[in-house]
Amino acid sequence: MKKALALLIVLATVAHAEVGKPAPDFTLKSSSGKEVSLSDFKGKVVVLEWTNSGCPFVQKHYGSGNMQKLQKDAAAKGVVWLSICSSAPGKQGNLSAEEAGKTIAANGTAATAYLLDEDGKVGRLYDAKRTPEMYVVNKDGTLVYHGAIDDKKTPDPADIPGARNYVAAALDEVLTGKPVSAPTTEAYGCSVKYGR
Amino acid sequence: MRKPAYGSLLKRLLALTALVLALAASQAQVFDGQPLVSARLLPSKTAIIPGQPFEVGLLLEMAPGWHTYWEYSGDAGLPTKIAWTLPEGFQSGPIQWPAPHLMIEPGEIWTYGYGGKVLLITTIVPPTDLPAGKAMTLHAKAAWLTCKDICIPGSAELELTLPVASTSSEANGELFQEFRSRIPSAEPPPFILDWTSAAGAWDLRIPNLPAGAKADLFPLPPEDQSVGHPGASGPGQFRIEMNGPFRGVLTVGEGAETKSWIVESAAPRVAEKQGLWLALFYGFLGGLILNLMPCVLPVISLKIFGFLKQAGESPRKVFAHGLAFVGGIFTWFLGLGIMVVALKSGGREVTWAFQFQNPWFNVAIGSVIFVFALNLFGVFELVLPGRASTALESASSSSGLAGSFFQGAFATLLATPCTAPFLGTALGFAFSQSAAVILAMFAAVAAGMGFPYLLLTARPGWMKFLPRPGAWMERLKQLMGFPLMATLVWILSIVGGQRGLDGVFWFLCFLLCLAISCWLYGSFCGPFSKTRSRAIAIFLAVFFAGGGGWYFLGEKFAHVGRHESGGIEWVPFSARELSALRASGKSVFVDFTADWCITCKFNERTAIDTPAVRQLLRDKKVIPVKADWTKANPEITAALKNFGRVGVPFYVVYPAGRAGDPIVLPELLTESILLEALKKLP
Repeated sequence: MKKALALLIVLATVAHAEVGKPAPDFTLKSSSGKEVSLSDFKGKVVVLEWTNSGCPFVQKHYGSGNMQKLQKDAAAKGVVWLSICSSAPGKQGNLSAEEAGKTIAANGTAATAYLLDEDGKVGRLYDAKRTPEMYVVNKDGTLVYHGAIDDKKTPDPADIPGARNYVAAALDEVLTGKPVSAPTTEAYGCSVKYGR
Repeated sequence: MRKPAYGSLLKRLLALTALVLALAASQAQVFDGQPLVSARLLPSKTAIIPGQPFEVGLLLEMAPGWHTYWEYSGDAGLPTKIAWTLPEGFQSGPIQWPAPHLMIEPGEIWTYGYGGKVLLITTIVPPTDLPAGKAMTLHAKAAWLTCKDICIPGSAELELTLPVASTSSEANGELFQEFRSRIPSAEPPPFILDWTSAAGAWDLRIPNLPAGAKADLFPLPPEDQSVGHPGASGPGQFRIEMNGPFRGVLTVGEGAETKSWIVESAAPRVAEKQGLWLALFYGFLGGLILNLMPCVLPVISLKIFGFLKQAGESPRKVFAHGLAFVGGIFTWFLGLGIMVVALKSGGREVTWAFQFQNPWFNVAIGSVIFVFALNLFGVFELVLPGRASTALESASSSSGLAGSFFQGAFATLLATPCTAPFLGTALGFAFSQSAAVILAMFAAVAAGMGFPYLLLTARPGWMKFLPRPGAWMERLKQLMGFPLMATLVWILSIVGGQRGLDGVFWFLCFLLCLAISCWLYGSFCGPFSKTRSRAIAIFLAVFFAGGGGWYFLGEKFAHVGRHESGGIEWVPFSARELSALRASGKSVFVDFTADWCITCKFNERTAIDTPAVRQLLRDKKVIPVKADWTKANPEITAALKNFGRVGVPFYVVYPAGRAGDPIVLPELLTESILLEALKKLP
């Protein structure tokens, strides 16, 4: 308990991601070896997607092609899509750069980059607790959406067509200059597999 | 299932058990060849009785290290869901979730759920018109998420088939009892819950937690509301970061001794500005009205004339005396107020955080209001202690402004017999407020009471407008008792909502004892009563109040609503039902009763619905049948006539296996008579 308290105090002193406030900057290595920072994309809308290839809820969206479709639509609108994996080494979903490259190719992922966050620093910075957990940052760098990908909290792909997709809706609103109508929702999915 | 025309009880039970077991087939979620979770539907009864709700449980047995989730899964996970497909007319309720355990994963991920095994109980209500002997199948699709290091969703299509019958016995009793006891109670816990709202968070303090007891708080936020982890900032102290009211489950204790309750944050304790001013205004009005009481009114003009005499013709001096007098009033009231505030916050940190949500607070304040109303009606008078009066009397005899000051305090003291009811009532409501509010209330009453003096010393000529003292004062005092009784009626309605008709009944019994005590005190403890009769009266008064409190409140009121498991399940009477039950070889106990029959209700409470009788009914497998004659029922009338009776109560025991020879029990039934008769059964 004391350890947790100490960690909380430390974390509390670092600026955490909060809807309505500027999204904290970070730098991570991508699966292709490049260093990618959030600030690289200033002036563009950015989607952050926490992912874990072994989680049934992530598989629900990738297996059905839903996530890839979202990514393609976003790219067509000039939106940057960053997939981030905060699984610690030895835990489910943790992929080396090479393995990640293979998975991306096999899935047909259309994300701009797949970032490796093995020590979980960025995950904790954004309070990411589940996979998939989605964030949308607008052109000015403000976090405008944090939460679930859609409103049907099940692992069943059959629920996707009837579900309301929060990310697609948020992107539509942000790109047309409207305020996001549902800025915070509760994400659903497996827990992010942090190391400690 | 066809009813056997003959056959022993044992055979029938065995057959039923086999049927129930066979149909409770389980399904297992298997991963990598290992069973992770096995799911089964279990009934709590062996048969469905038309119109009578019964419980069905989803039993999830998890492999070691694997968990499933609670109603609110926390930072991750997914709550188990059950989708029912039921036969026509059946209804299903929500899952009654047992209190969960906390699981913490790296990254400060807190989830709430279950390990080992869990029984998720649902109440099913069958329709009243079901053909007897037919078998009904309940289908359920259960979906869950089970996690250890990784998460795997699971589901099962389950079904349960039960026969329809007029009686049923318990099935899976131990399992249902174990998990029923883990469902959080909707009653308030026996602890003081001190909620304070800080910016974006709630602080909960439980000052009277038993030393060393483990307490945990589990939140139940509304959909899409984010809630922080209930962090323990000390023993019995929690801080939860969230906006909006908190609702969740509090558990105290460990292992099998854990008890849990649903708790909610109280409304903010800061009285709204508007409401506060209104309350103060009423306090002022109350103070004004006090001047009309028989203890006060005759004195007013006397006092004013006294000032006039002292001050001569100088209006300023007269007014100064008036101010001093009012100052005395204020000091007295504020002194009382400070004492109350000190009582409230000093000592063992016993926060008098009474809220109307607590039935005991309502009982206490209802009793106090009742006693005060009796006082106003004139059932008894409050007598002041002699010494306080003499001390103030001597101080106030001194002349000058100081004398007037003490006269103000003395006048207020003298008025205590009349003011106590109002002050006491207002206090009761103000108790839960902050010190500032309590003092403000007292000040408002003091202002109201002192106001006429200020006015009259400023303009002595207005004294001619003062109402003349007379018999009307006593009537006004009695009239003031009625608003208090109205408040009591309101409190009774709250208690009714909390503890039902039974609770109100026992509380009223206690109030009756209290009334007798007050009358004894009032009639025999006046200043002129003989010492002996006074002593006897006080003894009897204490006996009635104390005994009534111990029996009606302690024994009866405290246990209302706490239905011990296995309350008597009455079968409704019908001639057909009775012959069917007797033909099946069971003993039957028939209770002919009606709601308007006082003897019947008394017997039910004291002789029939007792733990010993319930146990014996269970042990001897006697079927209790209730013939409710509240509304005219020709079948019951005919049955009564058979025994040559025309009224209720009436009690008959039909022993099993012997045609004829029913045993008739006396109308003035006692528990021992009933137990004797039941013991004689085969």
